[in-house]
Amino acid sequence: MTIAREVAEAALRAASEEQAEAVVLTERSGLARFAASEVHQPTLIENVVVSLRVVRDGRVGSAQTNRLDDDGLADLARRAVEAAESTRAEPGFPGLPPPEPLPGVAGYDEATAGLDPGDLAGIARTAIDAAEPAPVYGFVTSGATEVAVVSTTGVAAEQRLTDATALIVAADEGASGYAQQTAWALDAIDPAAVAREAAAKMARTRDATTIEPGHYRAVLEPYAIGELLQHFAYDAFGALGLIEQRSFLAGRIGAKVFDERISIADDALDPAGLPKAFDFEGVPKQRVCLIEDGVARGVVWDRETAAHAGGDTRSTGHAPPMLSRVYGPLPFALTVAPGDAGSVEELAELVGEGIYVTRLHYLGTVGARDGVITGMTRDGTFRIRGGKIAEPLANLRFTVSVPEMLHEVPGLTRRIALLNQNDFYGERYPFGVLAPALATARFTISGVGSSPGI
Amino acid sequence: MRQLCESAVEAALAAGAGYADARAVVRRSQSVSTRNGRVENVSDVESEGIGVRVLAGGAWGFACDRRLSAEGAVAAAHRATAFALAASVGRRRALAPVEARSGSYRTPVAIDPFTVPLADKVDLCLRAEAALRHDGVVATKASVRALREHKVLTSSDGVEAEQELFETGAGIDAIAANDELSQLRSYPSAHGGSSAAAGWEYVEGLGLEREAPRVGEQAAALLRADPCPARVADAVIDAEQMALQVHESVGHPTELDRIYGTEASYAGTSFLKPTDLGALRYGSEQMNVTADPTTPLGLGTFGFDDEGVPAERQPIVERGVLTGFLTSRETAARIGAGRGGHMRAEGWSRMPLVRMTNLHLEPGAGTFEELLDGVSDGVYFETNRSWSIDDKRLNFQFGTQIAWEIRDGKLGRMLRDATYTGITPRFWGSLDAVAGPEAWRLYGLTNCGKGQPGQGAHVSHGAAPSRFRGVQIGVGS
Repeated sequence: MTIAREVAEAALRAASEEQAEAVVLTERSGLARFAASEVHQPTLIENVVVSLRVVRDGRVGSAQTNRLDDDGLADLARRAVEAAESTRAEPGFPGLPPPEPLPGVAGYDEATAGLDPGDLAGIARTAIDAAEPAPVYGFVTSGATEVAVVSTTGVAAEQRLTDATALIVAADEGASGYAQQTAWALDAIDPAAVAREAAAKMARTRDATTIEPGHYRAVLEPYAIGELLQHFAYDAFGALGLIEQRSFLAGRIGAKVFDERISIADDALDPAGLPKAFDFEGVPKQRVCLIEDGVARGVVWDRETAAHAGGDTRSTGHAPPMLSRVYGPLPFALTVAPGDAGSVEELAELVGEGIYVTRLHYLGTVGARDGVITGMTRDGTFRIRGGKIAEPLANLRFTVSVPEMLHEVPGLTRRIALLNQNDFYGERYPFGVLAPALATARFTISGVGSSPGI
Repeated sequence: MRQLCESAVEAALAAGAGYADARAVVRRSQSVSTRNGRVENVSDVESEGIGVRVLAGGAWGFACDRRLSAEGAVAAAHRATAFALAASVGRRRALAPVEARSGSYRTPVAIDPFTVPLADKVDLCLRAEAALRHDGVVATKASVRALREHKVLTSSDGVEAEQELFETGAGIDAIAANDELSQLRSYPSAHGGSSAAAGWEYVEGLGLEREAPRVGEQAAALLRADPCPARVADAVIDAEQMALQVHESVGHPTELDRIYGTEASYAGTSFLKPTDLGALRYGSEQMNVTADPTTPLGLGTFGFDDEGVPAERQPIVERGVLTGFLTSRETAARIGAGRGGHMRAEGWSRMPLVRMTNLHLEPGAGTFEELLDGVSDGVYFETNRSWSIDDKRLNFQFGTQIAWEIRDGKLGRMLRDATYTGITPRFWGSLDAVAGPEAWRLYGLTNCGKGQPGQGAHVSHGAAPSRFRGVQIGVGS
């Protein structure tokens, strides 16, 4: 039995409520952050957080603590009950979920879980050395997480997860390049290769020029596609956005919305991702088809939004953690179907004349209903001329309608990469996007920013 | 808690650290939210632990432990020191001096927000939300929040600081939609409302129910409004959006750790160089920006920062010239100016970083109407909707929830989907007027992200409506 489940059961016992649910998240992680090739912010975290949801006469209240002694759990129960008694019964509340069989998933690696600070510092040093003489900025991190959901309805779900990421910007005053690898087992990533990729990209970005704003054909690396789609998904692919008509998919389910080469799913069961067996209510994860051959098929649901929608709608296993419930169910295991192209160079040939984008920076949603997002390119933007990746460009501001960008997609690569999307705010719960590189016929540049480099 | 911190510092020094500090933190927060007439969330969250930061072998190390016990404190100290020693490359790091002293600080609070029954908070949200309803409005939201943080810091430099900080906040949103459009209006601020370092009296003073009918009505009216045309024109920007403009294009670029590159892999760097201090023209003569951790109600108000440096007001931009950076003890020593005072960490499980405290655009003179008087053809922007800025904090684009055209000094038709864009020093150079103290407002933001692992900071910005000449409005394509 995991520590998370032991704590969850102790919290449930302490509550002694007829209807209650305990969710526990444990974290043991290390992150060696470096700048100018020196580790400068090394952080080790150990924490156990237990959330208790109590239902009294249809009234729901929640509390959370990381005090695990008897007094701490008793106080947790008292505060959750007080919260429940302070509110009113909501007729639409679907109740606590019943237990369901859970899928078996991968996603845990003993060696990754056992890394100590010395190991992590050594891995950081290996990456830093591999980039020389390029100065590098970034981090290597590993974490072991346990999650458990236990309830009075008989739910008893538990899972152990590990994750590891190497993220590196190689940069000096006039040049910068980026690379990243993520996996649930440390031996599946190669931090030295990440450093070399970033340094090689950096070397090609010096003496960047500018271009005029306008519409361009473009190739976007998986780093850029992953970040753009995750951002788009927050409004577009969650049930609450659909219900509140903020989503681009509002009124478009069943309609062709993207190029037929585009298929997008949310699949937490995929062993190539960061697998999860259940959500934060203990409901089994399902693979959800969001876009199939360019046609909008659906969004992700939790029990609350499914009850609101009525009919045949059921939870797809996407209940968020307690402190994120206000955002509704969201997809955190996006996977974009690959294409036929053997490389990004082949995509550049398909584009002919255009721009090449490595990664993005600071995205903002300008209009959720139209899927309009703005942001900057960064750490490796190039011109494509005559089907070849050519001279470097300054960082560019783009303002794109994602649906317009995906309306005509000349190609995608066969290879897909797992891109970490977790900035590690709050409690650690790894997630990422599986994405290929993509060529688009329309990527709108709306301004020019700074040169590459720091 | 003080004893635990002292144990941690002693353990770190004994393990080989040359410097150590320890922060023990007990946090409690409550949040209530309602959505579409239903109670969405009633929760009560507490978190406690100790974070230990060390300098060993010239390298930093940080480790934390949720246990507020001698065992947890010593374990964190040992792990932090081991991590620092493993990462050491023998570099020497200097810290600006700090006075060895004991001190305490408590946020002035008239009504402790944790004494207000949760049921009253639920009722307030439901009443405010009900007042938002309007034809065309498809979704409504209301929320209130409260936070109390008790923390003790001790360091091997002789600092002992005990602080109890309070925050309260609230906000309402109305979403209107039809078959083609979705429009959002918020009060008193976007992105979850506004917060202050104060008691429940702050929420009572916001008048959520009073403002809600206007907010709902404007959301619905936006469905009928014309889109804001793209062009170059004069812009008048409200205090709420100016708060974010200051945050993104003055606050972050003047963080000295970013200037030295230590945030390069995530939030980015800065267009500023250390040598720009005292020399760079950041904006027009009307631009005066001050960092002030002593501001009443400010979310960045404290007695001591998380390195034990006492709070002190500091000019950042004076009459358009860059005169200050936001610093830590390490960056202050490196540049040879200042003494730190801007180091803040989220809770107990994160390492302190250079952060904004309260950063204000100082008021000018005159009224909002007098700002409009000076515009023959322009746009008035109100309440942030979207934001984005490049990694050096030069190229930015902001969108607001609502705008109005300005014709011959008067507000005209309402406009939707309004954005403006610019390059930081050029934009601030076009500032030609800031309204006076009567129009100056303080806004508290709770969603400022930085660091790896990420940590959120709560900061306040005071600003008054401001006028800029020749701004790029909208996106040309």
